[in-house]
Amino acid sequence: MTQTIILTGTARSKGHASGEALVNSQRMGWAFNHVSNEGGIVMVPGADIQGECVTGRIVVYPTVLGSTSGAVSLYFKCKESNKGPAAIICRKVHDIDISGCIAGEIPAVDGLDQDPIDTIRTGDWVEIDAPQVGQKATVTITRQG
Amino acid sequence: MTTMKLTTYQQEMLDGKHGETKQFCMNKLVDFGEAVEATEMVDLVLVLNGVPICSKDRKDPEKAKKLAIYDLGHSPLYDPIFKMKDARVADKSGCACGNDPYMVQFDKADQKGYPWNFSVPGKGDFQIPADIIQDLKTGYDKLEEQGWLNWLSCNPYFNTRIPKMGEYAASSESSAAAYINSILGARTNRESPVNTVYCAYTGCLPKYGTHLDENRAAKCIVEIDDAVRDHLLGTADFAALGACIADKASNRIPAVLNLPKNLSPTATKQIVACCSPGMNDPMLHLMGFTPESPTLEAAFKGQMPRNPERFRITMDDIVEMFHHINHISPAPGPETAKPVDIVVIGCPHATFEEVREIARMLKGRKVKQGVMLWVQTDTPTYWMAHQYGDTKIIEEAGAKIYHQTCVAMTGFHHYPPGITIATNSYKYCKLAGGMGSKWAFANPAALIDAAVTGVLNPIPQWEHWSPAADRHLSLAGAVHS
Repeated sequence: MTQTIILTGTARSKGHASGEALVNSQRMGWAFNHVSNEGGIVMVPGADIQGECVTGRIVVYPTVLGSTSGAVSLYFKCKESNKGPAAIICRKVHDIDISGCIAGEIPAVDGLDQDPIDTIRTGDWVEIDAPQVGQKATVTITRQG
Repeated sequence: MTTMKLTTYQQEMLDGKHGETKQFCMNKLVDFGEAVEATEMVDLVLVLNGVPICSKDRKDPEKAKKLAIYDLGHSPLYDPIFKMKDARVADKSGCACGNDPYMVQFDKADQKGYPWNFSVPGKGDFQIPADIIQDLKTGYDKLEEQGWLNWLSCNPYFNTRIPKMGEYAASSESSAAAYINSILGARTNRESPVNTVYCAYTGCLPKYGTHLDENRAAKCIVEIDDAVRDHLLGTADFAALGACIADKASNRIPAVLNLPKNLSPTATKQIVACCSPGMNDPMLHLMGFTPESPTLEAAFKGQMPRNPERFRITMDDIVEMFHHINHISPAPGPETAKPVDIVVIGCPHATFEEVREIARMLKGRKVKQGVMLWVQTDTPTYWMAHQYGDTKIIEEAGAKIYHQTCVAMTGFHHYPPGITIATNSYKYCKLAGGMGSKWAFANPAALIDAAVTGVLNPIPQWEHWSPAADRHLSLAGAVHS
């Protein structure tokens, strides 16, 4: 049985993306010491997704934590080492992550009509349609079983 | 086209009338401005960013592997700018552009016993590859040619470029941003180091975030108990206090009441360095010190609720925070006698006051063989310490003092596995936990003892603090009588 949930929110960085969801209930950042630049592995002690690889996935978390260098490290993972996420979804995308997503050319969405942390589960298939910054974005969640 | 209202000069930069570089950077800033719904731009007096590693062979697989370790990710952002012939920072407008510490003190790059080149007996070696240092120097030289002041410091606001109340800055160093907002009354976000590249060449930035009054308002009150106010002494105590403030305020901007009357620049720096490890917004209304907040009403920007949320910080909270910080990435060994490999003081960079304190405590003593004691500071303080003899004392004790870099910016996640690093920095313990090394947190007196004996007692004497009068009187060196 397949369940589909459609949420709408606001695009903070534009683009289209799809991938498997990776949900972290704690705040997190993208600096090399939180998510490795060379492997895309989450290293934050105690994080729900510690040890997971973010590459190609849609990472869902409340908002940023830690260093401003998350912006450039996110950009680096997306554009240079090719270990970055496909997109991010937050309760509120922090300005640091907005600039990282714009530079890394991946979509970022917040302000959804349901709490993304409660609604999206790790393993869900998520599609994002975020055509224009500041405008409506659609998040389609597909859950098997 | 942009919906932002630009000044004539900003519009001319966007239109390309002031060259290719400024137009390129303005386009990037306008994109960001739209995303954060800015309506105008502000002129900047300080930009704090990072030096790029300028590698011609970045795509070479071997070099790419090294860059993935040493590059924070910012270097490729400079590629298009370095190709432009007219690249020049906006220093003519009075905007000073510099950078965070990074990797190495250039004139000691080949010396051993420093964070860029050291051995830990029985555990391994670490050395930043020479080609990476050379590529960093190439980036450094290019920035210098383009008008950057390569100060490589966390604290330019102390001694190099001091923003005044009401001015705007763009600091990608979080602790500097918190100090600039909270103590100097100038306005900066914890700025993205993507944006600060473009800020440097244009001297402007969309007005957003903590530039705006509404995003600087206090949301809750954190009140410090008298016992806390009167008994905090060491720089780790003040770092722990900052961590407690951030923890109580749950990532909201606090108005902090009942701080010590004499709050030194060092203590203040340690408190506000809870941003970024503990809180996102680089703003704490430290009542009695924050210039834009002479009253609580002002701290709340005229929106103070009838019963604002209030939290207290007790000595128990401070003790608990010491334990918490010491258990983020806990060092092995007995609770009160942890063997250490490295002791580092100066995150954010040590003030001259801190350097002097270390020299006083080290005088006539020797760092234990096999242990390293590192003191990291900014360039002006480094040379002051040289001038006044503190460097000589520190070096005669077998410790190292250096500038231009910091442990966390050396690729330290590739330090030999299983080493224990002791520090007075909450930021290090919080942001570096989980990266291989084990971290212990303590005050400078305990850290210096640890460097001399090889063993640290990370918990201060007041762990057993209780409000009972006899205990109270036994505490040495209270600030207030």
